[in-house]
Amino acid sequence: MRRFLRIYLPFCKMGVQQMLAYRFNFIFFLVGEMLSSVVMYFVWLAVFNSSEGETFMGFSMTDMTVYLFVSFAVGYLTYSEGSYAVAEEIRDGSIAMRMIKPVRFDLPFLFQEIGSRSVTALIVIVPICTLVEVYRFAVTGAVVFNIVNFLLFLLSLVIAYLLSFYINVCYGFMAFFLKNLWGANVLKDAIISFLSGSKIPIAFMPAALQTVLNFLPFSSLSYTPVMIYMGMYDLVTIVQKLTLQLFWLAAFWGLSKLIWLQATKRLCVQGG
Amino acid sequence: MLKKLRRALKMHRIFIAQDLKKLMEYKLDFLTGALGFIVYQTVNLLFLWIIFSSIPQLEGFSYDEILFIYGFSLIPKAIDHMFFDHLWNIGYWYIAKGEFDKYLTRPLNTYFTVVVEKFQVDAIGELVVGIALMASTVGKVNIHWSGLNVLLFIVAVIAATLIYTGIKTITAAIAFWTKRSGQVIQVFYMMNEFAKYPATIYNNAVKFLITYIIPFAFTAFYPASYFLRGDNPLFNIGGPVLAAAVLMTAGLLLWNKGVKAYESAGS
Repeated sequence: MRRFLRIYLPFCKMGVQQMLAYRFNFIFFLVGEMLSSVVMYFVWLAVFNSSEGETFMGFSMTDMTVYLFVSFAVGYLTYSEGSYAVAEEIRDGSIAMRMIKPVRFDLPFLFQEIGSRSVTALIVIVPICTLVEVYRFAVTGAVVFNIVNFLLFLLSLVIAYLLSFYINVCYGFMAFFLKNLWGANVLKDAIISFLSGSKIPIAFMPAALQTVLNFLPFSSLSYTPVMIYMGMYDLVTIVQKLTLQLFWLAAFWGLSKLIWLQATKRLCVQGG
Repeated sequence: MLKKLRRALKMHRIFIAQDLKKLMEYKLDFLTGALGFIVYQTVNLLFLWIIFSSIPQLEGFSYDEILFIYGFSLIPKAIDHMFFDHLWNIGYWYIAKGEFDKYLTRPLNTYFTVVVEKFQVDAIGELVVGIALMASTVGKVNIHWSGLNVLLFIVAVIAATLIYTGIKTITAAIAFWTKRSGQVIQVFYMMNEFAKYPATIYNNAVKFLITYIIPFAFTAFYPASYFLRGDNPLFNIGGPVLAAAVLMTAGLLLWNKGVKAYESAGS
């Protein structure tokens, strides 16, 4: 274990330093990304103004606002660039250098990203959660914040990030077939934004679709942590959901290992 | 002048032909990119469809009218994406890495050379969705496509495209002084998200911002509402034209000033 940390912790530190070096870029980027949540907020406000009742499919406007911003934060934090990193190395051949070093192929990427993500987490979670709680208090007049739910939310968030990383690593292996993964990433992000419920809460979808989406790995990426944060699940459901998240994490971790083993047998570096 | 323009158009054709050759080389990449945009827009439409399954109207706009505005917003965005995509690279790394030097050695206007260097075919996905959406509302929204309206439509789309391009040009040109401005382009460009829905759903501060400061409301909602409701053509069609003229002029002036201030990279 000590050896493990000695090898991989420097990667983590590198990630932190990288993040701090480019902090202004990051803040601009964050503001840009957040604009679409602001747009959605106004769209929902108009929807609630145009509809008869106080709630829309079981969500009040307060719930919807919390959902929008927490789901933004979760989506932002669990976003992994694993697919770019893997694809870039396959394309320029530097993956060959990685194979001769005594480290595992996935862990340097992972630790570097964990480093940069932990900085992001501090910058994103603290202000967003504070604002969301102040807003909830201002509207409902009651403190809804619950430390147990919050800790379970953090746990679920960490699993969601790891799952996202391994899904992305698997996806990055597509670089064996495609030269330019940019388009493929647009496609992937679009599909995930729908299947994970980050665009439209899964609860708004037709019942049959809900059952399927709740089981698929994508709801574990965003919907599960957000619902835990909002206090929509009781303890039994939370345990079930966390188990499902762990199951998918194990599955994609295994899949990435399997692809890697197969791929290294037939890897052909172009002019490396 | 005319000779110069003809030469420029010929150059543009040659550059586009080059990009199409590249496209034939990487067919699968192109297909996934275009498909990506189509899927992304389909998800947004599903969202609208789910909303409208339980409310009849959104702030006085019917489902088809919202689709018309949404489709309209995609067309100028796609055209700008297709022809002016290279401005992103200028802001993100061309100036910072000193690669802008190459444009200074060429016998053409720098802005023109930069812009024609890339023809972004992926944008076809957005263009197709935009046109398909508008076509799907034919007969369901009250628009009379007279000759004049068709002409005004073309004017509005060109002006709206140049609003996008103008904003990108101004923000990209900032990099001549700051070396990198990719993130600045990103923040301003992302404001186009506001254009997809009627400007009337926003509060006054946001409405003011997207009408008079970063006028994305003129890229879709205002011109579309002229075609839907027929009111106030001077503001709804004249507005985009004025905004485009101001932004493009400011962008090109800033660009030319920036090229003079450009001092390449250390190495």
